[in-house]
Amino acid sequence: MKKFAVLMLALAVLCLYAAAQDSPAAPQEKKVFSYAYSIDDLPNGMRVITVPTDSPNLVALYMVVKTGSRNEVEPGKSGFAHLFEHLMFRGSKKYTPEQAEEVLRRAGASSNAYTTDDRTVYHAVFSKEDLDRMMDVQANAFQHLQYSRDAYKTETGAVLGEYNKNSANPISKLYEVLRETAYTKHTYSHTTMGYIKDIEDMPNLYDYSLEFYNRYYRPEYVTMLAVGDVQRDQVLALAKKHYGDWKRGSYVAQIPAEPPQTSPQVRHVDWPTPTLPWVVVAYRGAAYSDSDKQAAALDLLANLAFGQNSDLYQKLVLKEQKVATMDGGQDMRVDPELFAVMARVKDVKDVNYVRDQILATYKQFAETLVPADRLAATRSRMRYDFALSMDSSSAIAGALAPYIALRSTPETINRRYALYEQVSPEDIREAARKFFTEHNQTVVTLSTKANSSEKGGL
Amino acid sequence: MSIRYCIALLLAGCLTAFAADAAPKPKPAPGPATVLLPTRSPLITFRLLFNTGSASDPQGKEGLASLTAAMLSDAGSRTMTYAQINEAMYPMATSFNSQVDKEMSVFVGTTHSDNLERYYTIIRDMVLDPGFREDDFQRVKTDAVNFLKVTLRSSNDEELGKEVLYTMIYPPTHPYGHVNAGRVSTLEKLTLDDVRNFYKQHYTQAALVVGLAGAYPKGFEQRVVADFRKLPAGKAQKVNAAAPAQKPGMQIQIVQRQTRSTAISLGFPIDQVRGQKDWPALAVVASYLGQHRSSSSYLYQQLRELRGLNYGDYAYVEYFPQGMYRFEPAPNLGRRSQIFQIWIRPVDPKNGLFTLRAALYEYDKLVKNGMSKETFESTREFLGKYANVLTQTQDAQLGYALDSNFYGTPEFPQYMREQLSRLTLEDVNRAIKKYLKSDAMRIAIVTEDAEGLRKGILSNLPSPVTYTSPKPQSVLEEDKTIQAYTIPAKDADVKVVPAEQVFE
Repeated sequence: MKKFAVLMLALAVLCLYAAAQDSPAAPQEKKVFSYAYSIDDLPNGMRVITVPTDSPNLVALYMVVKTGSRNEVEPGKSGFAHLFEHLMFRGSKKYTPEQAEEVLRRAGASSNAYTTDDRTVYHAVFSKEDLDRMMDVQANAFQHLQYSRDAYKTETGAVLGEYNKNSANPISKLYEVLRETAYTKHTYSHTTMGYIKDIEDMPNLYDYSLEFYNRYYRPEYVTMLAVGDVQRDQVLALAKKHYGDWKRGSYVAQIPAEPPQTSPQVRHVDWPTPTLPWVVVAYRGAAYSDSDKQAAALDLLANLAFGQNSDLYQKLVLKEQKVATMDGGQDMRVDPELFAVMARVKDVKDVNYVRDQILATYKQFAETLVPADRLAATRSRMRYDFALSMDSSSAIAGALAPYIALRSTPETINRRYALYEQVSPEDIREAARKFFTEHNQTVVTLSTKANSSEKGGL
Repeated sequence: MSIRYCIALLLAGCLTAFAADAAPKPKPAPGPATVLLPTRSPLITFRLLFNTGSASDPQGKEGLASLTAAMLSDAGSRTMTYAQINEAMYPMATSFNSQVDKEMSVFVGTTHSDNLERYYTIIRDMVLDPGFREDDFQRVKTDAVNFLKVTLRSSNDEELGKEVLYTMIYPPTHPYGHVNAGRVSTLEKLTLDDVRNFYKQHYTQAALVVGLAGAYPKGFEQRVVADFRKLPAGKAQKVNAAAPAQKPGMQIQIVQRQTRSTAISLGFPIDQVRGQKDWPALAVVASYLGQHRSSSSYLYQQLRELRGLNYGDYAYVEYFPQGMYRFEPAPNLGRRSQIFQIWIRPVDPKNGLFTLRAALYEYDKLVKNGMSKETFESTREFLGKYANVLTQTQDAQLGYALDSNFYGTPEFPQYMREQLSRLTLEDVNRAIKKYLKSDAMRIAIVTEDAEGLRKGILSNLPSPVTYTSPKPQSVLEEDKTIQAYTIPAKDADVKVVPAEQVFE
């Protein structure tokens, strides 16, 4: 067995201070993710990460599957990663859904799952004495999932219901149009829910669902994350017991590369019912990286230019009160993601004004340098915001999961935050110049159809 | 590793006094008590708990305790304006907040250990050296009035109903007899001098318990204690919180408000609080009947799952504000008097009377039949483990540790485990008979057609339910009993109050 342990000091401040006196390299040891952890790889490729914490009695068990809607490469088959988030609770050879539910209840467990472009995460927090039983239920779903054609149909109906429920929200539509406009080849062109025509066809694709399971529910796609009142040896022994016989797969999805955008794109969505109008201004951004300064610069820029402390936010939301909500930035993704600013405007006649203010702000950051003190304060806020979010074992596991899906190690967090420290005002300006170009731009607006005559040339 | 949990009453200078105990020395005044949870976490959590609250509001000055706390946590210190404090906290990504209940006012904040010195200096000055500026005062007072007028009266029927229920059980003359935020009429008259006086009288060393958790440096706790010795020594104050005897019979208050639904809260005082003999048994009963936000409890199954009447139905033996937003209760709401409460989430007004009857019917059934062996055992197993979920964060652990100090119990998960392991089905069913009396029920309802509902209640005619989907025959049969269930209220027992008049 390939086995290595990364041990990091996560001890009292006192220890850090003491170390600082001992070693000149110590200041770099002040890491934003400072918990000690261990990484072990089972022979079949499944990774096990254990993070013991002081938090007593509980364990947060996260199963991070490196499969999301990005992996849905075949035409007509979008939405399957998310469908599995549902199917995985349909029982296995050993446990009926009711029996699995009973184990969860008796463990006092809080359990759920979510899917994004790049990952599916199954998470539960429960009393440590139930780790063996909980892992048994989970391992059976991961290796011996069993659902009938009828159960499959019921679940695809639930997914369609979820799409319908979400579709009442204009943001879902806005996001859907933004994605399919900005991406032409890459699977990021569809959302995690999938195309509606594919969701409607799902009930006919029972056999394909087995194929999907067979491809991606394999040890090499999965990382187990155990955080809390646990020890490495204990977790590893249980992982071997429950997952040791799991066979490695061979499938690797060929994700189509997205060609460079060549011209600005504009779309408008007519919304059938009354709603406040929306405007989104997006650019092709960067993929997640813990070594590329420009990708890190975009994160800082998102806070500086469009965060709640930004001049634009203060102006549009607080002073002029033309905008109800505004948010901007890009998610951490395997492949280049959109950097998008989304604003909910209070009056349809202000949509163009708001759009132009957002565009002007993008331009301003490509032309001028941010003050060094504001950059420092923002860098600090991001760092401590992350650190303060980790206030329980499940919060720590939840914060780790996206990074584990991207780089398979908590260490990437420290590399990413160390990179923020190196980003200068010039780097931010360079990143803005590189990404926020006209041919890289997509603008989507949405407003109530009855008001479409007031759209004012959108 | 298990948490190192210690409660230490630190007498200032006691260590040095101990070392040289030969000659008798003048006894130092007792300093603030401490509850310390040293952990390896780089997050340092403060909970500065003062044993004072709205029960100490002087008559005619209701709301003063809340306003005083807000003048410390949401306003400037003498050395920094409120804007400067916010600006300083931005790069630390932190804040400092207060929560005021009947007998506790707690100040809460968490910082990363990197910023401990800067953060502590700011919050220490906020509490020990408040700015008491007029502009801050006007702002927090307006916020308090708006909380009563806008937030409670006209935008949150569920919280409104629950708070009205408490004012029905505790009369205006009782220390618990007004909502923590005060009354509109008294708040408007409060002055900055009132705040100064309340601060001087109640923010004392005797009232303070310093709660501290995380990897704080060695000796830091002693420094905090030394700093807070600047407060006046004071004397421990206890309010007489015992619930007044309830007039037997059912009393109903219907708050009339323009709203699309009907919110219902029912309850009565129980003279058991955490740490007392029968409290664990009552906690089991409440969890079985209506564990907060859990779909597996009994009332939820009957009213929501089987009948689809509303979004959820829960039961409590401790005060639990903000239940519509929170899954776990906030700590540091310690009280010496509690009520047993049933919370029926808003229902369609046309099913309002039926739902009220269903809640009373199920409650009476519980009192009559008690719990079964099977439900007792599964609830006990759930609750024992759920204690761990309640104390999941370091901040919650510290909060619960302070509450354990208040109630004189061991740390919460341990207390629950020990108590539950000793508990028998007989204990629980005996507690049901002893404490869950049906003959002094108080009911608060928020609805639009208050007069119509009042007539319906008093007429005691059947109130059939309207369902939107087919129901099993067994449910329809039971509905016949429910819809005719007698509500034993007489004309004078059912009052209608316009929403604008509550908390006035």
